[in-house]
Amino acid sequence: MNKVFNINLGSYPFTIDEDAYNHLRSYLETIHNHFRQTEGYEEITHDIEARLAELFLEQLGNRPIVNFQDVEDAIATMGRPEEFGADPMSEGTPDPSTDAGTGKDKFKLKTGKRLYRDPEEGMIGGVAAGLAAYFGIPDPIWVRFFFVVITISGGIGIPLYLILWALMPAAKTAGDRLAMRGEPINISNISKIVTEEFEHLSEKMTELGEELSGKKKARLKMGMRTRALRSGSLL
Amino acid sequence: MMSEEQIKSLHATGQQLRRGVLELVVLSAIAAEEEIYPSTIQQKLKDTPLEVKEGTLYPLLTRLKNSELLQYTWRESTGGPPRKYFSITDNGREFLDGLLDTWNQLVTAVHQNTQNHLNNE
Repeated sequence: MNKVFNINLGSYPFTIDEDAYNHLRSYLETIHNHFRQTEGYEEITHDIEARLAELFLEQLGNRPIVNFQDVEDAIATMGRPEEFGADPMSEGTPDPSTDAGTGKDKFKLKTGKRLYRDPEEGMIGGVAAGLAAYFGIPDPIWVRFFFVVITISGGIGIPLYLILWALMPAAKTAGDRLAMRGEPINISNISKIVTEEFEHLSEKMTELGEELSGKKKARLKMGMRTRALRSGSLL
Repeated sequence: MMSEEQIKSLHATGQQLRRGVLELVVLSAIAAEEEIYPSTIQQKLKDTPLEVKEGTLYPLLTRLKNSELLQYTWRESTGGPPRKYFSITDNGREFLDGLLDTWNQLVTAVHQNTQNHLNNE
């Protein structure tokens, strides 16, 4: 008996087994990290995910569940970032997990902090949590306190919050979360984030389980990122 | 005998040369058809020294599309997500002609300047 996940890839729903899910997720992480700094990042990754969905559908036929081999085959067709690079004008960010040994400049791997909303740590839209991470404030409560103060004293707190909410992108992927905190993106950091995500996931699962107690099967959405799912992107 | 370092360097330089002509070849492949799906471009290049993974094509196509050298239309597909079919624009054709001129000049110049080496062997 194996656990399966329900995912949304290229706006198509798939049922995928656990091994295949982990494989696909780490592959997509390398893809997103590779193209993050490339112009047209959203469109490129969207096209790649749509093509992967198409490859899965072709391979599945009448089978209901995407397995590890399906993911392997799709990756073989699409290729890994170290196999791209044939387009000099739009080279992506070197990926530390795959570019080792190709002689690329290692210093590029350090990323500066970027301002993201953090919906997972947030109370409303994650704006305060994102600002706290960006400015290195240990607890978002102080940022929230600041918003409360400027709301009471001048009334601009709420409009300011709403504007920031609209402007700041949500940290969707593990790479985003690292960039938000300003940590360099490397294998050990990614695995740290992934571990945290799984803990987060299991918390959510417990909550969900309590809510759904009585129902036999809790539906597990990939990464519990409803926002990402709505936008049709897996990561 | 070349050292391992030199063999690596040969490989890397070869890679650079291929990179340089990929854009030319992809544009030509698209210009040859009314419209084309990216995996068909990959199929055309398969089993040639210019073989690429599909993942190489998406950033290139997006960039050429954003530079208005290519355009795409959405086509419904049987049992899959809608597909983007690419075609070349008028500007794209002009661009491709310019690239081909450069390429032909390069081939001639390279040919002339490597003849001596070939004759001496």
